[in-house]
Amino acid sequence: MSTGSVEVVYRGIFQKTLAKNICRGIVFAAKNEGKIGIAFGRYSDSPERNGIPAKQFAVVADTEEEMEEHLSRYEPDNNDVTIAADDTLCKGVECWAWYGLQPINKLLKEGGTLLIPSTRSVNHLIGEIHRKGMPYNLAIVKGTASFSGLWVYKDDHTDVRLLGALAKVAPHIVSLDSILATIDDRLKATSAKKAYDLVESVSVGANQGNDEVPFEFEMPGWTEMEEGLVIRGIAGQQEVPGRDGGYVPTRNPTFKKFSTRTMRPVVNFDTCTQCKICWLQCPDSCFDITPDGFYDANMEACCGCGVCEAVCPVSQCITMVNEEAFTDNDSQWELWIEDKESYSGWLSEKISEPPARSHGFHHVGQYAEEIANEPS
Amino acid sequence: MQETTVALSDFVSTQVLDRWKGIKKVAREEYFTSGHRTCQGCESALVMKLMAKAAGPRSIILGATGCMYVANTTYYSTPWVVPWMHTQLGSSGSAATGTVAALRAMMRKGKMEEEPINVISFCGDGGGADMGLSAISAALQHTHYNLLIFMYDNESYANTDIQVSGSSPYGANSTFSPPGKVQRIMHRRWKKNTAAMLAAGHPDCKYVATVSAGNAIDTMNKVRRALTIGGPTFIHSLDPCPKGWDYDPKYSHEIGELAVETGIWPLYEVEEGKVKMYGKSKHIASGAFKRKPVREYLLRQGRFAHLAEEDIAYFQGKVDEMWEKWLVPGVIPFANA
Repeated sequence: MSTGSVEVVYRGIFQKTLAKNICRGIVFAAKNEGKIGIAFGRYSDSPERNGIPAKQFAVVADTEEEMEEHLSRYEPDNNDVTIAADDTLCKGVECWAWYGLQPINKLLKEGGTLLIPSTRSVNHLIGEIHRKGMPYNLAIVKGTASFSGLWVYKDDHTDVRLLGALAKVAPHIVSLDSILATIDDRLKATSAKKAYDLVESVSVGANQGNDEVPFEFEMPGWTEMEEGLVIRGIAGQQEVPGRDGGYVPTRNPTFKKFSTRTMRPVVNFDTCTQCKICWLQCPDSCFDITPDGFYDANMEACCGCGVCEAVCPVSQCITMVNEEAFTDNDSQWELWIEDKESYSGWLSEKISEPPARSHGFHHVGQYAEEIANEPS
Repeated sequence: MQETTVALSDFVSTQVLDRWKGIKKVAREEYFTSGHRTCQGCESALVMKLMAKAAGPRSIILGATGCMYVANTTYYSTPWVVPWMHTQLGSSGSAATGTVAALRAMMRKGKMEEEPINVISFCGDGGGADMGLSAISAALQHTHYNLLIFMYDNESYANTDIQVSGSSPYGANSTFSPPGKVQRIMHRRWKKNTAAMLAAGHPDCKYVATVSAGNAIDTMNKVRRALTIGGPTFIHSLDPCPKGWDYDPKYSHEIGELAVETGIWPLYEVEEGKVKMYGKSKHIASGAFKRKPVREYLLRQGRFAHLAEEDIAYFQGKVDEMWEKWLVPGVIPFANA
């Protein structure tokens, strides 16, 4: 008699169909083994927004009683496997206001497995993932994150590859045979089998990894809330030392949004003409005005949409770079002011790495082209 | 005895908000700031930012249910610097009228200092073009109240995961109109012409405009004009929605521009009964700019990915008609019988 649960953390909308396919696959495979399965999305993530981390779960149990016991909880918090559908989620997830930044391995049980599709090394990812007080395993399926949109799905076999890898790291939940029995397409079944054979798993010790303490808040209880649910407005401007004469807007302290980012803008201040277009067109007001009239993308507020890169009239002045190439949220302008020469070196190193993903639909037929061009 | 009657003209005093001539003149203060749970590249969030920036610090903003309510103010959290209040889906018009009336009463009774305060009430296309239409119509008839109804139109009920609204375009994929094997086009209605309908139907409303945030300076200047002309006004903004229209968020600006360049979204203002095109639409109307084919706009969006050539041709035909056959091209349909 046993139950097992799988948590899928993914990029809202971009990977909604992917997460659904994974969770459905688990349930169908469980059914093939005579078990009971159920898959569901977390209500509080709905409505999903592009890029903002969201979760779906699949629970498998031998009996109905065990299933009911499991589902009486708000969200399964002792998961056998956590699948992070995008490796940038390793930096932590902030799903909504007051949620804070939560480690990707927070809901994983002792000895469970964190499964990630990534092209990065194990050590690189362990350096990003917050420490956990107990040991767990980290498994990597080689590949880039699969992103598509709400209507058109990019069917690049990422769903079946993750299912195949899942059968390897947690055979007590579903076996490879029962996974394969749910897949009609022969090519897709081969992909699942390949991932089963090739998935790499290492054990991560207790307290190994990123020692940063994720930001948290004190939640007001309902007795502390103001009459009529009044929320106090926020001040217009922040006083920031060294930024006199510039303008740093006050930002919502209970929702920072940076965990939404999968790539970030890198600004070349040497070629910037101070045209202000990025500042005006940023939907998230993330550009701080510096005392010398530059526009410094604040990495606590930027969600990585790429609009600034698209509207910038100067070639390669703003470049989007994969979020995996950074370890902090420090100001680029301060780095530039400190030492312009070394900044220029830092900049050219960073922009040499274009993001290995598209953020959804560009034109009809694009996904088919991308899949055809990908190395098998 | 205290004087209780005030001349009507005293009520319609407004703030002085000059036209911003160019990006260098734009105020740097933000009144809608970072930290809202909207999609990456959300054009409606940008529109909120521009609207609040244009209105300035002495403003009250009201918002009907929709993305800009739910995404912005989740659990005890706000990105608003100016006072903001939620109102129900259909009541952006009545909330605006009530707020202005209440402010006036407070000032008359000496409970607050007399000053012109901007009152803006925003609604989505679901809240404005569908459910709230009657309340907006009523608000636009109360000519002695200064208020602006701002409709951000992302062409669907985007907050509840993209259902068809009266503003959804022909053929678009949505939760209510998924293309099937037997029937490809499940949504056959043509988009509601909300701004022109309200302008034509409310002769006492002094100002109605359409805007696109891709044209940010113009958008802010239209808001400033609407807030200073006196009386109730209406602005309709077309906001590309990366989630529901299904495109890479970085193209928000470009898709908005394409909507104007293809002639699908005409930019105009109706000031005291006179229609004036502006931006690229002005050049389309005069013939100086040739409209781009609508396929350039349609094939960039996942919601139109299922369209066949004949659907695109139909769409193009309807847009051609709008510019070539309409009584006022791009604005008012009808032809002489």
